[in-house]
Amino acid sequence: MIRRFSALSPSWLFAAPALLVYAVVVLYPSVAGVLYAFTDWSGIGEGMSFVGLANFQAILDDEQAMGSLGNTLLLTLAVVIVQNGVGLLLALGVHAKLRSRALLRVVFFAPVVVSPVMVAFLWKYVYNPDPSAGLNGLLGLEVDWLGDPSVALWSIAGMVVWQYAGYSMVIFLAGLEGIPAELHEAAMIDGAGPLQRFRYVTWPLLAPALTINLMLSTIGGLKLFDQVFAATNGGPGYATETLSTVLYKQAFVFGKFGYSTAIALVLALFVAAVSLVQISYLRSREVAQ
Amino acid sequence: MTDLRHAKVSRGQFLRLMGGLAVAAAATACSTRPQTAAPSGSAAATDLKFVGVADQKAPMDELIAAYRKVRPEVRLTASYAPTDQVQTSLRTQLGAGNAPDLHVVYPGNGSAMSMSQIAGAGLLADLSGQSWTGTIPTGFKPALQVDGKTMMYSAGSSVIGAIYNTKVFEKAGVEAPPTTWTEFLALCDKLKKSGVAPIALGAQTPWVTQLITYALVPSTVYAKDPAFDDKQLAGQATFAESGWRQAMEMYLELNERGFFNDKPNGTTFEQQISMVATGRAAMAIQVSAVLPDFRKSASSPGDLSMFPVPGADSADQVWIPAGVVVGLGAGAKGGNVEAATAFIDFLGRQESINSWAKAISAIPLTQDANSTIDPAVQSFLPFTKDRAVPFMDQRWPNAEVQPVHFAVVQELLAGKATIDEALKKMDEAYQK
Repeated sequence: MIRRFSALSPSWLFAAPALLVYAVVVLYPSVAGVLYAFTDWSGIGEGMSFVGLANFQAILDDEQAMGSLGNTLLLTLAVVIVQNGVGLLLALGVHAKLRSRALLRVVFFAPVVVSPVMVAFLWKYVYNPDPSAGLNGLLGLEVDWLGDPSVALWSIAGMVVWQYAGYSMVIFLAGLEGIPAELHEAAMIDGAGPLQRFRYVTWPLLAPALTINLMLSTIGGLKLFDQVFAATNGGPGYATETLSTVLYKQAFVFGKFGYSTAIALVLALFVAAVSLVQISYLRSREVAQ
Repeated sequence: MTDLRHAKVSRGQFLRLMGGLAVAAAATACSTRPQTAAPSGSAAATDLKFVGVADQKAPMDELIAAYRKVRPEVRLTASYAPTDQVQTSLRTQLGAGNAPDLHVVYPGNGSAMSMSQIAGAGLLADLSGQSWTGTIPTGFKPALQVDGKTMMYSAGSSVIGAIYNTKVFEKAGVEAPPTTWTEFLALCDKLKKSGVAPIALGAQTPWVTQLITYALVPSTVYAKDPAFDDKQLAGQATFAESGWRQAMEMYLELNERGFFNDKPNGTTFEQQISMVATGRAAMAIQVSAVLPDFRKSASSPGDLSMFPVPGADSADQVWIPAGVVVGLGAGAKGGNVEAATAFIDFLGRQESINSWAKAISAIPLTQDANSTIDPAVQSFLPFTKDRAVPFMDQRWPNAEVQPVHFAVVQELLAGKATIDEALKKMDEAYQK
């Protein structure tokens, strides 16, 4: 029997309040944001003119925005690779039959629940440039972690990895828990060593977890703002400026809300495009395996 | 018990249910609505909201309490936050049309929350009718006024100079503050040899980066050409072809001679304070408004004092920066404009100006017999008559030059840019 669509059916009426809230809180600001991207609004006052594609043209000519795109991509690449590598190692570690594994899971996951701004403040102490303090004191180094333009971006990557490696760990752990023990037992009977079992049993079956982790860390990396803003404010100079910090500054420091919204729109489309390409590739890889 | 997941609800029952919930919600909302009506027999209460930066808390708390005695029917609720947060939240509120009745405003035109930018959008009430505005010193008018109309209140001016630890100076055998650039370099050398960092610099905090150029530029630019700002606005002068170059060279000379603490780009404002307050560094080039913060961190607040940074080799060519301190304005679009401007009128009384200026070690906007000036800034007073200029950003034409200045100083300190490149970027930002 074909069910007739009706806006007054009980299911739609039950969903209506949530849809209304969603429309007001999400849809309306999003659509309005898109419209602002084509104006020269300063963010305050009523003076506003339609400027067509001028804001988008300005992005291409904006040295700072283009420089921040490079920083964003480098930061994302570093975070995606290291966070997932560390997350996988942690997951394999806490999946082993250790007596303390429950405690270790909590410890490794704990940074995830801390506010990113708090993490940035905490790591400002860890990254104290004083040779006798923080990481320098611990490792006997004299690195200016956040003050040296050639190091600062990687220092930010380090604090992001520290915070979110536990998140990747949990997703990998869920994947590991789902692998039947019989497969490992069969591989062992066939004479496979630990590395071979990982290569031919664990790794292929972790593909769905890897897909999710890569996609989430890529999106997170491309949108990175809080940690950068709280730790370095985009500096020293422009060394850690990301697309998110540039769009924030354009809106709230320079008073160019329309231009800032254009950057936000480009960023959103960029994140969506990268995510779609990534997920379609990784899903096809899962099927192939 | 009935399984709710399988319960059937007719369309009529559903609508009645939703209607009932709506009535219940409305009834609940009415019953919990705050009582805003004034008690019978008293004047109608007015609630005012103020959003300010952390530096304003001490003077505002004191003056709000004083205002309550004069106008008990006005309830003024104040909240404070660091500059970056206030800039974000307040600009959002201003844009959305729900700004507080009173809020922080920066003098001049150099930042997104500056008086000219907000007044230009029609969001600041005109205060020109208030009596205190008639006594604003001529030199401060560009910072507080647009087209002759006063759009913000400020309690006075602060200066930029060297906040120093007198104990550290004594220990190094320094007898008197320097009066020329050569003497300043010799002083730094002496302090360095005594084993302390001569100058603490917290350049990781962006606004701190600008203070050394601001301290030097009055002597290298304005002492030679007091009309520099007007010429720059007219397109007849640039950063690159002015004494700004000399000031940047002097800034870098201090860095190259090792007169700053190690790794200034990785050092924060808070660490800068701590270094001077605890004697690990001898001085910090800072704005006098943060003197109370330095004193709070020192075990003996009396050990801290200030002197003007001599940016010239002849003492009579030394000029200083003296800028109007951050103040507040009244929203032009709110429902309490009259009550909000009345509070500012109260702030404009001489005793309020004195009280505010005292709390932040500022020089009062206007002075009477009860005005006090912090002993630490007494040495600046001889300059304020004819050898002082407003902070540079207060006359810049847009909000972009200042952040570029922050960034290029960090690049210069890191050796990632040349002075030519730095000044070119500032000139480009000025033209936007």
